[in-house]
Amino acid sequence: MQPDAKIPGGPIQEKWDRHRFELKLVNPANKRKFKIIVVGTGLAGSSASASLAELGYFVKTFCIQDSPRRAHSIAAQGGINAAKNYQNDGDSIWRLFYDTVKGGDFRSREANIYRLSQLSENIIDQCVAQGVPFARDYGGLLANRSFGGAQVSRTFYARGQTGQQLLLGAYSSLSRQIADGKVQMVPRREMTDIVVINGQARGIVVRNLITGEHESHEADAVVLATGGYGNVFYLSTNATSCNVEACFKAYKKGAFFANPCYTQIHPTCIPHSGDYQSKLTLMSESLRNDGRVWVPAHSGDTRRPHDIPESERNYYLENKYPSFGNLVPRDVASLNAKDQCDAGYGVGPTGYAVYLDFADAIHRDGKEVIQKKYGNLFDMYENITGEDPYKTPMMIYPASHYTMGGLWVDYNLMSTIPGLFVLGEANFSDHGANRLGASALMQGLADGYFIIPYTIGGYLAGNSLPDVNTSHPAFKEAIGESQNRIEKLLSIRGNRTADDIHRELGQIMRHYCGMARNENGLNKSIQLIRNLRDEFWQNLLVPGSDKDYNLSLQKAGRVDAFLEFGELLAIDALARKESCGGHFNEAYQTEEGEAKRDDENFCHVSAWEYKGYGQKPEFHMEPLVFENVELTQRSYK
Amino acid sequence: MTPETKTITITLKVWRQKGPGAKGKLETIQVKDISTHMSFLEMLDVVNEDLAKNGKEPIEFDNDCREGICGMCGAVVNGIAHGPKKGMTLCQLHMRKFNDGDTIIVEPWRARAFPVIKDLIVDRSALDKIIQSGGYVSVNVGGSPDGNAIPVPQEIAEKAMDAAACIGCGACVAACPNASAMLFISAKVSQLALLPQGKPEAAKRVLEMLRKMDECDFGNCSNERECEAVCPKEISITHIARLNREYFKAGFFSEFK
Amino acid sequence: MNWLFRTLRTSIGKKLMMAVTGLCFICFLIVHLIGNLTIYGGKDLFISYVEHLHALGPIITVAEWGLLTLALIHVATGLTLFYQNLRARPLRYKTSKWAGGRSIGSATMPYTGVLILGFVILHLFNFHFVDKENASIFQIITTAFANPAYVIIYVAAIVVVAIHVSHGFWSLFQTIGANHPKYMPIVQTLGLLVSLVFGIGFGLIPVYISIMV
Ligand SMILES: Cc1cc2nc3c(=O)[nH]c(=O)nc-3n(C[C@H](O)[C@H](O)[C@H](O)COP(=O)(O)OP(=O)(O)OC[C@H]3O[C@@H](n4cnc5c(N)ncnc54)[C@H](O)[C@@H]3O)c2cc1C
Ligand code: FES
Repeated sequence: MQPDAKIPGGPIQEKWDRHRFELKLVNPANKRKFKIIVVGTGLAGSSASASLAELGYFVKTFCIQDSPRRAHSIAAQGGINAAKNYQNDGDSIWRLFYDTVKGGDFRSREANIYRLSQLSENIIDQCVAQGVPFARDYGGLLANRSFGGAQVSRTFYARGQTGQQLLLGAYSSLSRQIADGKVQMVPRREMTDIVVINGQARGIVVRNLITGEHESHEADAVVLATGGYGNVFYLSTNATSCNVEACFKAYKKGAFFANPCYTQIHPTCIPHSGDYQSKLTLMSESLRNDGRVWVPAHSGDTRRPHDIPESERNYYLENKYPSFGNLVPRDVASLNAKDQCDAGYGVGPTGYAVYLDFADAIHRDGKEVIQKKYGNLFDMYENITGEDPYKTPMMIYPASHYTMGGLWVDYNLMSTIPGLFVLGEANFSDHGANRLGASALMQGLADGYFIIPYTIGGYLAGNSLPDVNTSHPAFKEAIGESQNRIEKLLSIRGNRTADDIHRELGQIMRHYCGMARNENGLNKSIQLIRNLRDEFWQNLLVPGSDKDYNLSLQKAGRVDAFLEFGELLAIDALARKESCGGHFNEAYQTEEGEAKRDDENFCHVSAWEYKGYGQKPEFHMEPLVFENVELTQRSYK
Repeated sequence: MTPETKTITITLKVWRQKGPGAKGKLETIQVKDISTHMSFLEMLDVVNEDLAKNGKEPIEFDNDCREGICGMCGAVVNGIAHGPKKGMTLCQLHMRKFNDGDTIIVEPWRARAFPVIKDLIVDRSALDKIIQSGGYVSVNVGGSPDGNAIPVPQEIAEKAMDAAACIGCGACVAACPNASAMLFISAKVSQLALLPQGKPEAAKRVLEMLRKMDECDFGNCSNERECEAVCPKEISITHIARLNREYFKAGFFSEFK
Repeated sequence: MNWLFRTLRTSIGKKLMMAVTGLCFICFLIVHLIGNLTIYGGKDLFISYVEHLHALGPIITVAEWGLLTLALIHVATGLTLFYQNLRARPLRYKTSKWAGGRSIGSATMPYTGVLILGFVILHLFNFHFVDKENASIFQIITTAFANPAYVIIYVAAIVVVAIHVSHGFWSLFQTIGANHPKYMPIVQTLGLLVSLVFGIGFGLIPVYISIMV
């Protein structure tokens, strides 16, 4: 079966307009009668909850944290793109569209991206109206910066806390609806299953993380906005609670999972320093504007960086990419760092780090200038590592940062389960094989504020939804299954904690399914993951009970999902016999070592259908058609 | 190559409390071989791993982003909210700050408004309730004017951003000798009172948010400045002064009652 | 007038009452101090000051009732705040440290307040509600301070007042919303100065008198 993306006809500029007209509307008086469940309160979930409630629907919103304001979106630093062209530097909806398609290495849907670019302008207006304190120029107008290698300045920002400010904006709108009684906010809940009745998503089952009890919630439609799966690598820049569980449960219930192998590795993170390490911290990409990346020219050189003379340093990015130098895109910078370290040139205690050196910049511009630009980043680095980057070069290493893959959705953001919509990082829709900087925030908010309010209406008005309540056996069954799993997890009483097993899974994933992949490694990883899964079910140790707050138990559930999901990621990577964006298969590279796409055979979305535990999932293909841009090879030489 | 990595031994005295109503107490745990590179929370992870392997229940503590922005983590360490390092959350505190042989006392945020859920986890939903009572601009999606329609002087935008940086961790309440949430509400009131977008509702907002704070069992501000001293985002009490001004404006001169 | 009650009833409202009444007391103390300083001019000057003061007649009565009202508000509100603040943290920390905001003045406000209340009552019974028919106020004062216990109590009380004012002064500016980066440092210095002036100005008087007689 080929999943139908339901892309409206007509010229690309008019598709969304036309589609909005064609979508059926729900009678305003009836909206109140529809109940919508939103899982997740990141940018996507909060904005969706607020805007659906504003329209008059009754919304129930869930999140893991104690408050909706703490979703992982809060951590985004850099900014949000919008094709406002306020800087008069030649930006346009078309250019943002083109950059995003190209940045995604031509593996995303034209129609979706065009819509995203159109909506990007409205997002900024909406956020300003909410009181988001974006940076401003002296004259009081909105400031922009160029970000992630874009040639125009289209990134809006609020210091280094853009995600926080946008999320707090959405959270404030959500709070208003909660106060009005139109949203019922249910925090500290984890979705453990989705309930499908007569082929339609009709509710969810959640576990109350404080009491440990299961609860059923019925609805006319379910919206998942549960974020990305970057934590499958254990060490990532994601928050510790980021997980794939909700999406994976939906996948098991029939939603297709698309492109799980597209993961983004961010080049400038603080390297990992010991086994106890729980997460990696992102250092803004802007550092590469002034820092020079190098490694010692001789492998195994353990001298302190100062003691290594210029002639014995290898500024590998500058040497290899004379025109872009240290500013090559994320995937290229990451891959090269890995190559250097694999070849034994890495530095630091683990040998998995490269230098990012500001000595020249400090010499050229003076310490003050550098301090003004990067002061807080330098402080953050010093706080974490205990080293002063004004004196010794920083050490950086790439880390998992974002996941482009996700649940497959059509143009309406509906998954292959009718009535189940997926927004934000949880879906796969807009970034293809690689996401451009400052585009995730844009996508999350476009999905939540401007797309779902229309498309969900079309679904609700266009389908018959028989009455359902939580006494339906499907709810009992879902609760039973979750209960069983929890009892099983608690009863193993082995020797390894969930964190411990997760750490090992992360090692496997980073090693075989990370920045560079090959067929042998991928096959091997599948075997290793399976073994680890067996070990998990035999040797897991979950302390405590399921009757009160128990983080270890929550983690065990998440690791369970990651252990199955990791295999799916590897299977997808194996099936994609080409290199594109964040998926780099060593067998497919140009002579210069760049990702080499195979447009003839792989210009498609891979959508996987669950076929049972331990069974190979079924592959479905959504071909990608490019009518408006020409497929080209990226080159940064 | 890296600054000296040491391992230290510490005595942890940590608050253990089974559940909301239960009586809690400080439990002493000896912790060996802690690398000074670890963050405070990673140290707790290591302790928990040990506890679990010895058949004991791990110490429950809230955390998520582990980079000082989500506001989820927090505990009073040796008498100071978020620990001894200024302008940082607990998750950003590193063991480098401690010496071999130190005793470290860890307690949850304590306030009537923040009942303990378990160990170091407290219920901070009162802060959400305060925001729900008025910490927003009432705009629906759809009708907003162009982002540049109303210029905002740069220094006003910056000031608003200073206030908006609040992560809602509750350290201000924890550190306030009176368990008051004034710095928290002042941050929101101030941000929205400074920006033109927030002005139309300024009077109603401040009255309702303040009444909600009082209703939620927080104490009263007595200008002790401890909140400012522990705030991980270093939000200044000048925002409290602005809150007070806004309140008097609203209480004495607006039409709202 | 319901709105007034509602506005003053909240935590900021109560703080406003503390601030405004506190400000009045500071003004009162300044006047009081200036008057008292006449004691250094000798007995005659002091007595003439007292006579002039009493010649104001009804104004003084109004002022006294005014001060009493202010005191009632200040004390009642202060006690309410104290009780509410205690209640806001039912379980105290096992260890707690000042993170850098508190001062001796701020940390002791309620206690210095209660001490001052006790002292004011004592002071009134010493010098106000006394038989002034048979002895001049000057005599009453000098007899009192001939007793070293009184000197000690008075000096100690004045120190307490100074501590109270050291926080109260800048704090009242903060409460009424007058915190501006340009002026706050001045207000804070002024606060210290005022409490020093009160401490030294009032504090030396009993000592001086006890030495004089
Ligand atoms: C360090 C960092 C910096 C970044 N910087 C930028 C940037 O500058 N620009 C940019 O555009 N993008 C950036 N990104 C990416 C961007 O932040 C994310 O992609 C985006 O915020 C995801 O938003 P979301 O709403 O989809 O999900 P999230 O914000 O991850 O929210 C997920 C929500 O789902 C809930 N949830 C998850 N699972 C469950 C469950 N089982 N049950 C119940 N609830 C559940 C969580 O509680 C949470 O509320 C950055 C990412 C990182 C890690
Ligand atoms: S865990 Fe997010 S602020 Fe500490």
